[in-house]
Amino acid sequence: MKRHISSVLAIAVALSAWCIEPVGTPSQTAGLKGDLMAATLSADDDNDKDKKHDDDNHDDLKNLKKFYHNLEGYGRLGYSIGGTAPLGIPAEIRKLNKFILQPNVSFGIDGIKPVSKNWGILVGIHFENKAMHIDATVKNYHIKFTQGGQTLEGMFTGHNDSHAVQWMFTIPIQATYKISNKWRLKFGPYFSYLTSANFDGFAYDGYLREGDPTGAKVFLGHTDEERGNYDFKDDIRRCQWGMGVGVDYFFTRRFGVYADLNWGLSGFFKGSFKTLDQTLFPIYGTIGIAYKIK
Amino acid sequence: MRIFNHNIVAIVALAALAITTTSCFKDEPLNAECDIEKAWIHADNLNEMFYSATDTLVTVFSTDTKIVFTMRDDADITAIAPQFTITDGATITPANGSVQDFSKGPVTYTVTSQDGKWSRHYTVECNRLARFTTEVWNFDFEHFELDPLYHQFYVWHNTLPDGSLGDDWATGNLGFRLSKSFAKANEFPTVVLEQGYDGHGVLLTTRETGPLGMSQGMPIASGNMFLGKFNVAMALRETLKATEFGIPFEQKPVRLSGYYQYHPGDMFIDKNFNEIPGRIDAGDIYSVLYLNHDEEGNPTVLYGDNVLSSDLIVAVARVNDIKETNGEWIYFDVEFEYKSDIDIDLLASRGYNLTLVFSSSIKGASFEGAIGSQLKVDKVRLTCETKE
Repeated sequence: MKRHISSVLAIAVALSAWCIEPVGTPSQTAGLKGDLMAATLSADDDNDKDKKHDDDNHDDLKNLKKFYHNLEGYGRLGYSIGGTAPLGIPAEIRKLNKFILQPNVSFGIDGIKPVSKNWGILVGIHFENKAMHIDATVKNYHIKFTQGGQTLEGMFTGHNDSHAVQWMFTIPIQATYKISNKWRLKFGPYFSYLTSANFDGFAYDGYLREGDPTGAKVFLGHTDEERGNYDFKDDIRRCQWGMGVGVDYFFTRRFGVYADLNWGLSGFFKGSFKTLDQTLFPIYGTIGIAYKIK
Repeated sequence: MRIFNHNIVAIVALAALAITTTSCFKDEPLNAECDIEKAWIHADNLNEMFYSATDTLVTVFSTDTKIVFTMRDDADITAIAPQFTITDGATITPANGSVQDFSKGPVTYTVTSQDGKWSRHYTVECNRLARFTTEVWNFDFEHFELDPLYHQFYVWHNTLPDGSLGDDWATGNLGFRLSKSFAKANEFPTVVLEQGYDGHGVLLTTRETGPLGMSQGMPIASGNMFLGKFNVAMALRETLKATEFGIPFEQKPVRLSGYYQYHPGDMFIDKNFNEIPGRIDAGDIYSVLYLNHDEEGNPTVLYGDNVLSSDLIVAVARVNDIKETNGEWIYFDVEFEYKSDIDIDLLASRGYNLTLVFSSSIKGASFEGAIGSQLKVDKVRLTCETKE
């Protein structure tokens, strides 16, 4: 188990090397990397202060080369569809009127270290957007309009237009199972850090009961000034995690397609955020093309 | 063949994922609201009970907790069966249409929501009103309290000629509250003036509504007070429809007098919160008498967008040029200018509405004015023609 953890870390190191280097043919890349490592280490040799240290380095290099030998690398480019939504649609949400596709690109690289004939460990780094734009009909739905620190809160019945943007770096750490040369299944957690995020929207063509269902009834209209706007940007959690499952299918030795499902297990908003009665989880599916770099 | 099997496995796995991500919509939740929306009394002997057919129906706003039927002073109210339109699925006790004795005072009705979680109490009363033949109506602003719903801003009661208190004064304070829900009583546009011309007066101030009001295209709220009702339901959608001007009035008004002070705010701004240099704010005081039915006989009320322009207007009395008064009380006395003759029979059957309006910014209805403009009003008198 310990060995596997160190493998994971080693893959992460190797991946970061890919990030800064141009992609050549696999053998070139490997050779180049080996030369670079050697060059770095021989620079250490010049100092020549501790022979044992050199030996260790030499062993490390050997180990790294050995480790590197059967390490597989993949580039991915995909598109995600999904939502940042409560688990199980609450009864207050009556109907989904619109689901507008968003520029949810996902790209990144994965390294897979085989640990047995079929099993492997995948670590990657992806940059992706998990955006969402929906229009739903709601009934007696708790809502809070905010503007510059002022709020208007209550129960809304009518149309609700929500828009979320989440640009993030994601690190998947997955177990892989190779069914055949073409098919591979993947399963494991992922961790994300959001570099920019937004969640805003407006309620329109309906009415608000201010406070609770017995409060003042206030109609909201259709135009910008007649509707109720909200923006919960400041309440979004920066770090997310969840579980991912996926499948890769390679139709040639290098080119393949993949489908992933990433199921958020951390709430989209901070724990202190109480405006929405339900916790929202980002749940997105990604399909795309994969290229085997090595 | 083995690969084919693996394909099946993968496809099944993907399908399973797809299914788990697709949630189903649940059954519609039961209604949580519990309003009386309308109340009416069916009377076979209508003319013995009411002065006009319009009085048999009361439209109830969401912020109302009191429903008043105005009836003839000699009406028999010992066995009245009011009927109600309530929220779908809600229940009401006493039963809808049950006979009640209103001679013992108001009857409290409780409406419970369909989901059983919410309830509201309403008092229903039959107010037997004598016909007033008073020459001078006094408006002194001495009767006020915090609003019954939120206990947050002031509401006023007018004194009727028989000495009883009416609920005819309305303000936009309820609308202001939507943008500044934590404002204190004295931070609202319409507040009590502790030292009026004589006793208390009313102080109207044009206020900034802040970011929330700005986003709704209402950067300012002028202080206003009027005879009529404020319908908060329209405050965000069609704001000018929130001010329902006028109450049924059975006398012919001839002049309007009283005292005011005015001080315009420093910076005049438009609807988009842009400063208009050189423009100076002005106050507004006027009274309008209008026909409360259209040509087809449908009940009509005038709103913020037509209270001074509607074809239904019969007479207007307006104080001109309310400018800086440098802290002095100014006496005003203006006559009603009649555009058409008044129909005495129609007047007697409550076919006319009268409103009286005070505003700290003359263009306040279109959200133009100067923040801080102040109009103080006191000791207003409405003189009516008396039958000789």
